[in-house]
Amino acid sequence: MTRNRNMKIAAVVAFLTVVFIAVPTAISSSGRFDLYYTLTSVALLSIASAGVWLTFYIGRINIGQGAYALMGGYVSAILVMNHGWSFWPTLPVAGLFCAAASVLIGLPILRLRGVYFAMVTLVLTEVARLLALALPITNGAKGIVSIPLPGALTVFGVPLIPDFATLQNSRLAFYLLAATVMVICFVVMYRLVNSRIGKLCQSLQQNEELASSIGVNIAYLRVIAYAVSSFFGGVSGAIFAAISQSIYPSSFTVTDSVNFMLNCFLGGLGYVFGPMLGTLVLYFGWDLLFQTGQFQLLIYSGLMIVLMLVLPNGLLSLSEMTRKKG
Amino acid sequence: MEQVIANGLYLGAQYALIALGLTLIFALMNVLNFAHGQMYVLGGFITYTVYGQLGLPFVVALLASGVTLAVIGALMEKFLFRTVIRRSHREESTMLLAAATAFFFDAVILLIFGEKQRGVPKIVKGVFNDAGIIMPYDRMVVGVLAIVFIAAFVLYMQYSRVGRAMRALAQDRVAAQLMGVRVDRYSMIGFAMGAMLAGVVGGLLVTITGVNSGIGGPISIKAFLMVMIGGAGVVGGAIAGGFILGMMESVGLTVLREYGDVTYLVIFAALMVFLSIRPNGLMGKPWG
Amino acid sequence: MAELLEVSGITKRFGGLVAVNDISFSVREKEILSVIGPNGAGKSTLFKLISSFLRPTSGEVRLKGERISGLAPHIAARKGVVRTFQETTIFKNMSVRDNVIIAHHLRSKAGLLGFFLGTGAARADEAAFGQSADDILALLGLSPLAGETARNLPHGHLRALGIAIGLATNPSILLLDEPFAGMNHEETMRMVEMVRRLRERGLTILLVEHDMPAVMKISDRLVVLNFGQKIAEGTPSEIQANEKVIEAYLGSEDEAIGL
Repeated sequence: MTRNRNMKIAAVVAFLTVVFIAVPTAISSSGRFDLYYTLTSVALLSIASAGVWLTFYIGRINIGQGAYALMGGYVSAILVMNHGWSFWPTLPVAGLFCAAASVLIGLPILRLRGVYFAMVTLVLTEVARLLALALPITNGAKGIVSIPLPGALTVFGVPLIPDFATLQNSRLAFYLLAATVMVICFVVMYRLVNSRIGKLCQSLQQNEELASSIGVNIAYLRVIAYAVSSFFGGVSGAIFAAISQSIYPSSFTVTDSVNFMLNCFLGGLGYVFGPMLGTLVLYFGWDLLFQTGQFQLLIYSGLMIVLMLVLPNGLLSLSEMTRKKG
Repeated sequence: MEQVIANGLYLGAQYALIALGLTLIFALMNVLNFAHGQMYVLGGFITYTVYGQLGLPFVVALLASGVTLAVIGALMEKFLFRTVIRRSHREESTMLLAAATAFFFDAVILLIFGEKQRGVPKIVKGVFNDAGIIMPYDRMVVGVLAIVFIAAFVLYMQYSRVGRAMRALAQDRVAAQLMGVRVDRYSMIGFAMGAMLAGVVGGLLVTITGVNSGIGGPISIKAFLMVMIGGAGVVGGAIAGGFILGMMESVGLTVLREYGDVTYLVIFAALMVFLSIRPNGLMGKPWG
Repeated sequence: MAELLEVSGITKRFGGLVAVNDISFSVREKEILSVIGPNGAGKSTLFKLISSFLRPTSGEVRLKGERISGLAPHIAARKGVVRTFQETTIFKNMSVRDNVIIAHHLRSKAGLLGFFLGTGAARADEAAFGQSADDILALLGLSPLAGETARNLPHGHLRALGIAIGLATNPSILLLDEPFAGMNHEETMRMVEMVRRLRERGLTILLVEHDMPAVMKISDRLVVLNFGQKIAEGTPSEIQANEKVIEAYLGSEDEAIGL
């Protein structure tokens, strides 16, 4: 037991060291500053994917995360541009706004199961895009552009975060921001899944009728999980808008929603850290295949099919297979 | 008014045919085939090549589209979906596979046929103009053909031995197996038929709207919509869903023309409200 | 004996079809009451009505005087009316022990946030649930299988696990849905024993059943349904002598009253 615990602590320390020390050092010594952008994207996409994973965990296939990412991006952008807010408070507000919206949307649609839920959420992504095109406040297809970089954050006069615009290397700052949020997000996920709440979510996934017969308020739990999921989507979208300093109706589309889902599948639906690994592999895989030019999509999707055939339960199921053999 | 209804019927007939293939695959295997739109596009390009490029008769081209897609569908079931369904802990995993095959088809189509919009010569010339309805003859031919195919499909499912076996399979996989239905065989046939339908519609419509490599995804989404409206896994539902969506589009595009994409926004929003009231669509089987 | 559960004038219509028609009876504390009847008599509908998985068209169900019909199933469970399921309704991918632990949900003192933060109350809950789950597994003879994944259990044990899950909620009355269905003689006898043991622990049990010999052996009283109506109520010997009951059972070919 204690050995197991020590192993875990060692793994966490190693992970944090890699993310916050090794990667920045490696990048600055190699001069590949473009990698910051890639890794920042991976971190943000894995946050959104983590949300999707959580809905999978209660037995719902969620192809609507793009809608919340888009919503979060617009909420943050509008607050900054139209209402003169600083970026920092818009981050939690964007998340909470999405969570609140997801409660309203979730109450009716979470009653749907299986493909019905999947398809409705897919449609939700389209609805969000069309709404962004149609609403006056989102400025239609032109989107919201030239959003200023995040300013300084001071709490009780103590400067916590410097103004991004004054930094020499705002890429590094964004990387650290995204990585920090990602770490927090996965800590929350890990706690959720490994506490009794995780078991309750699993009980929903495996049999909702039985769960309600033992007194679980399934409607409530479903909405809570969906709200947390959408919160993650919103936060990730808000940071994205800040990095690209713009947001358009096409910033998050059905393809993104599908990709979030794929990240979860690829990492493994049974593993909390699945979405992180899945996002990393898919995003980097796609980037690496860039050199293959016109064959990029062909090789990428071909590999995905092969992976699916070899490891239908995700990359992390490899660890289980080796353990069984050993 | 008559014009709106005529357009709606024309759209509905082709939509219903697309939805039928999707719903068949879903009913038999619980697989939501993301690649359905891509199969449609592939069918379109095959007819484009055989009829438009090689100059062979349209019927031959349509046949080629159908047969090619049927073969592709059968192979997909046998070598991809069957394996994953057997080995995965969760049946949703087939969605990843379906999405990956959709990407794969997209890539293949792009490589072979390029990204240009392709069209073919009209199969029938002239325009029908009477009783307040204006409609080119080729659209009418395609609409009628679509309805003929739908009828043929329904009759086949109802009365043939294969159709009956597939219906038993759709109703209860385990029971069908106990009754001696060869599950693997009929899953494969069903998948092939679903793919074939997608290919045939693609072949039909390339004569009217043309085809390009990017429309697979949007077609899939439309097909999902129809299946949801009617209820997943039910033949009658797919047909109803197809015609309902066709009518809604036809009406919406007329009434809301100046607002552009608002038609779809309204359709989508209406659909979400409808589904929260009727979670299984008009006549769908409950899922999960 | 005091009356624990009271069913009064309950009716359920599906479209034009009356599945359950104006049925009244009551269950006394610590008794085993069985609802029997030929196929299609309305037993499962009645069962779902009592467990609040269906809303009655009219009439009501009361537990200790408090109306529970028409509530959501999880609230009925909270009030103390808990059902088991036919066949294999369990949490398939959890271990047997986890199945029972999770079913202690109603007893938890900590809220969701408490569990998330791992507060003292939450940890105390977890420990207590583990202990109680082990007791229940021992009672039902499932201890050796505690670590097994539930979906791998042999058939007979699955039903015991279903009962263990129901028991873990600490119900006032446990509703068993055809507990003997599909069992051979030996398994049935074991299940009869198990149900008796539950009653000895002070539990009230209402069961819906097909298997007449077992029911006759186990029940204090029976309620007989036919075509959605109650046709008789009484002790096993009264029921066996009741002409209406004999007629109802003779009317259907494949049923034996087990005399």
